[in-house]
Amino acid sequence: MRRLIAAEFHKLATTRLWLWLLLGSVALTALYASLAIAFGDTPDNPTPPLASPAGQRTVFSVGQGAGTLLAVLAAIGLTGEFRHQTATTTFLATPNRSRVVLAKLITYALVGVGYSLVCIAVTIAIALPWLNAKGIRVPLTGNGIPATLAGVVAAVTIFGLIGVGLGALVREQVATVVGLLVYLFIAEPIVTRIPALSSWTIYLPGAAASALTQVAQANQTFLPPGRGGLVLAAYGLLLAAAGILLTIRRDIT
Amino acid sequence: MTNKDGRIVVAGLTKRYGTLKAVDDLSFTVEPGTITGFLGPNGAGKTTTLRMLLGLISPDAGTATISGHPYPALPAPNEEVGAVLEASGFHPARSGRNHLRIYCTVNGHPPERADHVLALVGLADAGRRPVRGYSLGMRQRLALATALLGDPRVLILDEPANGLDPEGISWLRRLLRALADEGRTVLVSSHVLSEVQQLVDQVVILHHGRLVRQGTLAELADRQTWVSVQTPQADQLLAALARSGGDRAQIQRPGPGQLRITGLAAAEVGRLALTERVELHELTTEHSDLEQAFLALTADADQQPVPVLKEAS
Repeated sequence: MRRLIAAEFHKLATTRLWLWLLLGSVALTALYASLAIAFGDTPDNPTPPLASPAGQRTVFSVGQGAGTLLAVLAAIGLTGEFRHQTATTTFLATPNRSRVVLAKLITYALVGVGYSLVCIAVTIAIALPWLNAKGIRVPLTGNGIPATLAGVVAAVTIFGLIGVGLGALVREQVATVVGLLVYLFIAEPIVTRIPALSSWTIYLPGAAASALTQVAQANQTFLPPGRGGLVLAAYGLLLAAAGILLTIRRDIT
Repeated sequence: MTNKDGRIVVAGLTKRYGTLKAVDDLSFTVEPGTITGFLGPNGAGKTTTLRMLLGLISPDAGTATISGHPYPALPAPNEEVGAVLEASGFHPARSGRNHLRIYCTVNGHPPERADHVLALVGLADAGRRPVRGYSLGMRQRLALATALLGDPRVLILDEPANGLDPEGISWLRRLLRALADEGRTVLVSSHVLSEVQQLVDQVVILHHGRLVRQGTLAELADRQTWVSVQTPQADQLLAALARSGGDRAQIQRPGPGQLRITGLAAAEVGRLALTERVELHELTTEHSDLEQAFLALTADADQQPVPVLKEAS
């Protein structure tokens, strides 16, 4: 298994996609952090005041946005085996197909840890001096911020599992990537803002990730952080398990 | 070493796609130390069979083993079997060398092994370039290099001559012959007999998913000969042949003034024509060639037989 994971890292390192998507995640994080701070205290803003612990947790949760692009990276990593027809060679080298999918799940979970740590560093680099300038002293070890940052790492990591699992289910690269982007950037943000559906939409993966990282918004309800984490983990594990089972069962043509 | 080592055994293999039987109760054996051609027209079921043999497609019935085990159950599959299938792809942005090094990592070979096989297939200079710039022939060589990484005892190649120029085919022939001479098993598929007939010792011929012939190339070429005659007095010669030829001669009339006589030598026909004072415009011995035998085996019933090329006797 160690060799298979090393090979997956080797595959990632020999193309540039991981770097572009990391830069994209950094840019998204910087943008979200800047918006959260710049408009955090404007009158109509639905987020709590920046001086409050809940408002600060919301600012420091923005790194979870890296999860979407990591899921895309993971999905491309799996579906690319079919798109470029390396799946044949890969599964000839490792006829036990579940080990291949497992190695990818572990690899992209680890890449998720890396992505989230970089995005957390970016968040801190932007938020601390800016909030300081506004006269708000943020204790990184208090106000529930450590739990939020741990939640960011966990959420991004689980999105790696979601990407691999979904890729193994769908296999078709363009459909998987477009589906992920449309769902996470467009579809879910729309439905979660429909109050009549909120008793259902709190269980959607993006909302569960926000619950885990303790986002607070006046116009949206979330699960408690622990349950949000469990729901998100359930998505990751179910998709991972389905991806493994289908990869074992389906023919490699 | 047991006597199962390196032997490919396919027994009763069947795969259905809907109502179509892509492979239908197929059984054959491939022995070590030989190069076997796995032949059949496109769509005959060759690739499906090879993928079932390699555990990539699950059969509806039957078994396929290499060295006594189904491929996925081999203790070290990559040291036992190297395979190049038609859809063995590469990431376009990755160099050939990095492609090989990834599978070195997977299989636990030292990274230098990648350079060794690159040199073996004549790609040492191109190894560091991205695969997107490779010609079809270079991709074939890189796929072969991937298959050779584990120094396998059995080589399975699907249409390896595709995209190779004549020089490449001659190179492939020498390489595969050297590998077979070392006692390895080589199975090579093709839809064109002429592409591999200089290469293979044995043939397994498939048509509509069924085995139509297994044997040596010499057996396939078991040439059928006949005497072709052109004469304005065909009826007269026919009558004479019927009188003197007895049961030995089988006579067809492919066209006006033409006779095709099986079972008699040209000399006998000529002598008979002389004694019967039949005017002959042509008297030749003809035989089917390998390609024709292959086409005859794999022709559909509604297709016409291919015209015979003449050969001076």
